[in-house]
Amino acid sequence: MNAVTLKEKKNISYKSCFDVIGPVMIGPSSSHTAGALAIGLVANKLFKGLPKRVVVKYYESFAETHKGHGTDFAIISGILGFATDDSRVPDAIKIAESQGIDITFLEESGDSPVGHPNTADIYLEDDSRSIRTVGISVGGGLIKVKHIEIDGFSLNPQGSLPIMIAISSRNNLELELRRIFKKYEVDINNSTNLEKDGKYLYQFDLDSQLSGEARKELENLSDIANIIIL
Amino acid sequence: MSIKEIVEAANEKQVPIYELAIKQEMEVTKSTFDEVWAKMEKNLETMESAVKRSVEGDGVFSPTGLTGGDAVRIKKYLESGKSLSGDVMMRGVQGAIGTNEVNAAMGVICATPTAGASGTIPGVLYTIKETLQLSREDQIHFLFTSALFGMIVANNACIAGALGGCQAEVGSASAMAAAAAVEAAGGTPEQSAHAFSTALQNLLGLVCDPVAGLVEIPCVKRNAVGTANALVAADLALAGVNNLIDADEVIDAMYRVGRQMPRELRETGLGGVAETPTGIAIRNKILGKE
Repeated sequence: MNAVTLKEKKNISYKSCFDVIGPVMIGPSSSHTAGALAIGLVANKLFKGLPKRVVVKYYESFAETHKGHGTDFAIISGILGFATDDSRVPDAIKIAESQGIDITFLEESGDSPVGHPNTADIYLEDDSRSIRTVGISVGGGLIKVKHIEIDGFSLNPQGSLPIMIAISSRNNLELELRRIFKKYEVDINNSTNLEKDGKYLYQFDLDSQLSGEARKELENLSDIANIIIL
Repeated sequence: MSIKEIVEAANEKQVPIYELAIKQEMEVTKSTFDEVWAKMEKNLETMESAVKRSVEGDGVFSPTGLTGGDAVRIKKYLESGKSLSGDVMMRGVQGAIGTNEVNAAMGVICATPTAGASGTIPGVLYTIKETLQLSREDQIHFLFTSALFGMIVANNACIAGALGGCQAEVGSASAMAAAAAVEAAGGTPEQSAHAFSTALQNLLGLVCDPVAGLVEIPCVKRNAVGTANALVAADLALAGVNNLIDADEVIDAMYRVGRQMPRELRETGLGGVAETPTGIAIRNKILGKE
């Protein structure tokens, strides 16, 4: 076997003590249960509300072990907006189905499209709209978001959370968003602006969590933009 | 960041490692001391509750029935006073196995650093709090110290079995616990680093081979070994037995070993004990024949 280099190592992903001692969660697996729930929660935040139909595609380790690891109920818990230590987590599929949500899980045999063994691709829809997100569970409950489809936009973020997305008919929101991040001393690691059919999407990959006040100030923009904080 | 830098910072500033961890956490998350402290205290309470729950009545059992009830057996055995490895060791093992039984039963645990490895660190803490008469404050310090070491291994290598095998999970947890145990016992930052490197080095190559993809066999017992290995590594370091390969190099080695592992041995349930006749029979019985 050839020597394996360390070149592919990534940036600092685990920023907080509580990324490694924590989360407090329902077992049995931090990557396949808590992390899967976190990917479901991303879908929940993108969709805002309950979908009618859920399709989850699993790759590699997720495809092989999702049944034993409780990944199915964890992802659905996230889609329903449950916390990792919510006692309803193991019953999430029943709860979702009782609300009329149609759920499909697919085990994909190929390699992960984003090059990680713990990959889930989630699609949510109702009668009028749909979203898609591809997340990876990197260990200890931490996730990265590698792909998002929303409102006709397609995004490939660098991955680490938090990510803030604003979608608006206004083309001049960037300065205002940057002002808020600066005010609350949140560094921006990367940003993307997209335009499609008269709609504008602003994406910011942030270096640290937003405080409650910062969130509130961003959400005050909800009248003029769809504000999503992942 | 590296373990070498942690040791240097602790020596230079003449502060314990947990203090470095708390300060860093306050800065990075822009939180107050009280907020950070309360969060870690909640983690400690979760660990205590899981250990307590594991020995109530006949114990806890997983939905599959593959694991459960062993923490109760160990506790009874411990109380008989006849254990070969001694009360301190068996108390740790009881805490470790009990926590992972609660995890397998889909109970509430604290991931340390993962759920599959969630028994190792509480196991060590559960036993040394008696041995060293640790106050509640000391126990929270222990968790902050293990967290700082854990962040180095998570960022410079990995802590997911799907990426690095069990060495990345129980191996990392064991090394984190060993380093924190040394500090709790009054050892130096260098000794913590030696304990860390010894513990991780001893578990290099450990594969992730969950039967039926469940976090039960062999995960629950692997945590008993993670705890025992941490206690041995901590004792070695406190006795002045150094590890020639330094902690940061062992972390790099763990990462490389993980990348060299075939996918069958990285949390796919397709190798190791998962692929034994009994492992396959259990898989077929629980998940249905494919």
